[in-house]
Amino acid sequence: MQKKVLVTSILSCLTVGVASQAQAKDSVFVGHLADMSGPTAFVGKNYADGVRDSLAYINKNGGIKGTALEYETIDYAYKVPQAIASYKKWHSRKKMVAMQGWGTADTEALISFVAKDKTPVFSASYSGHLTDPQGKNPHTKKPAPYNFFYGASYSDACRGLVQWAAADWKKKGNQGQPKFTHIGANHPFPNAPKAACAEYAQELGFKVMPSVVISMKPGDFKAQCLSLKSSGSNYGYIGNLGGSVLSLVKSCNTVGTNIQFMSNIWGGDKKIFQAGGEGIKNYVFPTMTPFWTDTSPGMALIKEISKMSDPKGQKERVHHYMRGVCSTYFMKEAMEWAKENGGITGENIKKGMYARDNWVPKGLEGVCLAANWKADDHRGINQVNIYQGNYNGGDIAIEKVSQVTLDRRVDWLGY
Amino acid sequence: MSSLMMRPCGDFRTSYKQDDTIYETNTIRLVAIAAITLLCAAPMVLDAYYLTLFIQVSYLGIAALGLNILVGYTGQISLGHGAFFGVGAFTSAWLNTSFGIPVWLCIPMAGFITMAVGMLFGLPASRIKGLYLAIATLAAQFILEDFFARAEWFSGGSAGASAEPISLMGIVFDTDESFFYIALFALVFMYIWGCNLMRSREGRAFVAVRDHYLSAEIMGIKLNKYRLLSFGVSSFYAGIGGALYAHYLGYVSAEGFTIFMSIQFLAMIIIGGLGSVKGTLMGVVFMVFLPEVLEGGVGMMKMTDWGNIPMVVDGLAYIKEMAIGLVIILFLIFEPEGMAHRWAQIKNYWKFYPFSY
Repeated sequence: MQKKVLVTSILSCLTVGVASQAQAKDSVFVGHLADMSGPTAFVGKNYADGVRDSLAYINKNGGIKGTALEYETIDYAYKVPQAIASYKKWHSRKKMVAMQGWGTADTEALISFVAKDKTPVFSASYSGHLTDPQGKNPHTKKPAPYNFFYGASYSDACRGLVQWAAADWKKKGNQGQPKFTHIGANHPFPNAPKAACAEYAQELGFKVMPSVVISMKPGDFKAQCLSLKSSGSNYGYIGNLGGSVLSLVKSCNTVGTNIQFMSNIWGGDKKIFQAGGEGIKNYVFPTMTPFWTDTSPGMALIKEISKMSDPKGQKERVHHYMRGVCSTYFMKEAMEWAKENGGITGENIKKGMYARDNWVPKGLEGVCLAANWKADDHRGINQVNIYQGNYNGGDIAIEKVSQVTLDRRVDWLGY
Repeated sequence: MSSLMMRPCGDFRTSYKQDDTIYETNTIRLVAIAAITLLCAAPMVLDAYYLTLFIQVSYLGIAALGLNILVGYTGQISLGHGAFFGVGAFTSAWLNTSFGIPVWLCIPMAGFITMAVGMLFGLPASRIKGLYLAIATLAAQFILEDFFARAEWFSGGSAGASAEPISLMGIVFDTDESFFYIALFALVFMYIWGCNLMRSREGRAFVAVRDHYLSAEIMGIKLNKYRLLSFGVSSFYAGIGGALYAHYLGYVSAEGFTIFMSIQFLAMIIIGGLGSVKGTLMGVVFMVFLPEVLEGGVGMMKMTDWGNIPMVVDGLAYIKEMAIGLVIILFLIFEPEGMAHRWAQIKNYWKFYPFSY
C-alpha cells in the first residue's frame, strides 16, 4: 500500500513538473516577494495585494502586448535567507526578467545579486541610497543600478514634511525657532531619512533635537513621550509603522505632549485612524496616490484591478494598495517598451524605465504621479502630497494640506 | 556521547590513537572523501537555487558549530551568537573597504576580531552560569545590534556596508558556482578543525568543565580560562560564518543580526544534537531546508486550480510558518537528543540487522 502511494505521488510530481514546463511558451516570469505574515505585514499585505491583483489583471487582459505574464508570490515573512533562496530559484529556474520586492531587508540583501544578474527590482523600500544608480554621491555606500521604486524616497518625503512644517509654523503665527525631533526605532528603515532630514530641517531654521528612540514593536512609550514633552518639540517625524505608531500616539496623549506628529508613508493610513480612535489628532502623513474614495479618472481601473481578489468589489483598499498597482504598472509599461526594442530582458526593462518623461501609466491618470527616471538619477517621483487627518468621531476626515515639489538637488541624490 | 553507549560488542581499542580517531572505520573515511569529491562536481549539475541553499548551510553551519562548542561541549550558554555573526560580517567588510586588505585575509582576521569581542562579552561567564549567563549574553546581543545601527564609521549605520567578493589569484568568486567552492572549503576546514579541537587537551577540558566543573577544577583545569576560551572559539566560528555571509551577499545591513538569529542558531544545535559535530550539520541542514520544503508544498498547491486563489495561498503562508514551529516541537518531544542520536540508532540497527538488541 505504502509503495503504491509512493509511486503515485512520484508520478503526480512528474506530471505536474512536465505540465508546468510545457506551459512556458511565449511568457515571461516576474517574481513577487511579499510579507504577509511577518513583522511588516501590517502594511505589507495591502501592498502585496496591489501587486498581485495587478499582475493577475495584466495577465487577464493580454499580458505584455501578447506575452503572457507568469508570476509567483512568495510570502517570505521578512526573512532574508528565504528572500535570497526565492530569488535564486526564480533566477535560475524561471529566467525571471523583473521582480516586485518588498522591504528594506530583502531589497538591500539582493542589491549586488540583481545588479550582477541584471534583474530590475521594484521595491517598496524607499531608502534614499537606492536612488543613486552610479554612486555619484559620496554618501552612497553601494550603487544600486537595478533598483527602482515608485514614490518619493523616505528622505524626500521627510523633507517635504519639514517644508510643510516650516510653513505651518509661520501660518499659525508662532514666534521663535521651532523644534524638530526624529522619532523611531534604531533600525535601518526608520533611520534611513534621519540624517538627511535633520540636515534640511536645520537649513529651514528648525532646531533639531536629539532623536527619540521607540521600539518597532508596540509598547508603553510614556517615557519617550515625557522626553518629547520636556524638550518642547513642536514637530516630530515618526519613522515607524503600525502598532508602534499607535502606541506612541496613545502614550503621548496620556502624557499630554503638545507635538505635531508627521509620519512616514507607511505610518499613515485609514487603518491607523480607525485603530487610533479619538486620540489621533491632526495627524500628518504623505501619500503618492489618491485615496479609495477619491474620484480621479484612474480610480476606475484600480477598482477593476481590485476585483481580481475581491470579485464583489466591497473591499475598501488603503493607499498602499494603489502604490503596489503603480509599481507594477510602471514595470509593465517598461516591459512593453522592452518588447518593442529588442525583447523583454532585464537590461531592456531598465532602459525602458528611462524612455519616457513625465510618465504616467496608461489608465492610471490621477492615480500614479508623473515619474522621471534617468540613467544617473533614480528619483522617479519628487512630489509629495501631504494630508492631515482626524478621527472625527468615527467619520474619519482626511484632507490635503499641501503639495510639495522637491528640487532635484545634486547633493540629495542617493541621500 | 551516544555512540559510546551503543558501542558494538567486541569493539576493543588497544591504543589512545584508536580511541580518538575522527573516522571510526575505513568505510566512513572513504564515504566522507567520496562525498566531498562528489560535492566538488555539484556546481556543474545543480542550479543556483540548490547552490545557494548549500552556501547557506555552509555559513550558518560554521557559526552553529561554534555555538555547539560553547553550549554542547562546554555547557555554557549564549543568546548573542547572532550578533557575533554580525560582528564577523561587518568587520570583514570594514577591513576590506577601509584598509584595502584582500578579502581572503579579511575573513580570518574578522574571525579573530570577533573572537576578541566574544571573549569580552564572555567575561561574565567566569563568575556566573546558567540563566544568569544567558541574560548577560543577551546584553551582548542588544549592545552589538545597537552598535551596528549607530557606528557609521564601522558598519555604515542604517545605510549598511558593501562587501567586495572574494578574489584569489585573479579569480573573482562572485557567482554561486564559484562561491560554492569557497563555502565547501570553509565548511570542511572548519568542521575538521572542530573535530580536532575536541580531540585535543583543550577539547577534553571543555567537556570536563561541562560535566562537572568542581571535579574539573580539582583536576587542575582552570575554569575561567576554559570558559573564556570556549567563548573565544565559539565567536571565532561565528565571525568566520558572518564574514562568508557578507562576501557572498556583497552587502551587509544592520537589520539581519537580531535575537531571532541567535535563537535560530540555538534551535539548530538543539535539533541537531548538543555536543555533536555531525549533529550540528544535520540540524543546520534541517533548519535551512524545512522552510524550502514547505514552500515547495505551497507551490504545488498553487499549481492546482482550486489552490491558486489568494485566500488559500495566504492561508498556506500562515500554515507554513506554524508548521515550522510544530515540527520543532515534535522533534523536541520525540527526539530530545537530536538528529545525531537518531542517526546513530538507525546506523546501529542496520549494523546488527537482523540481530539488533
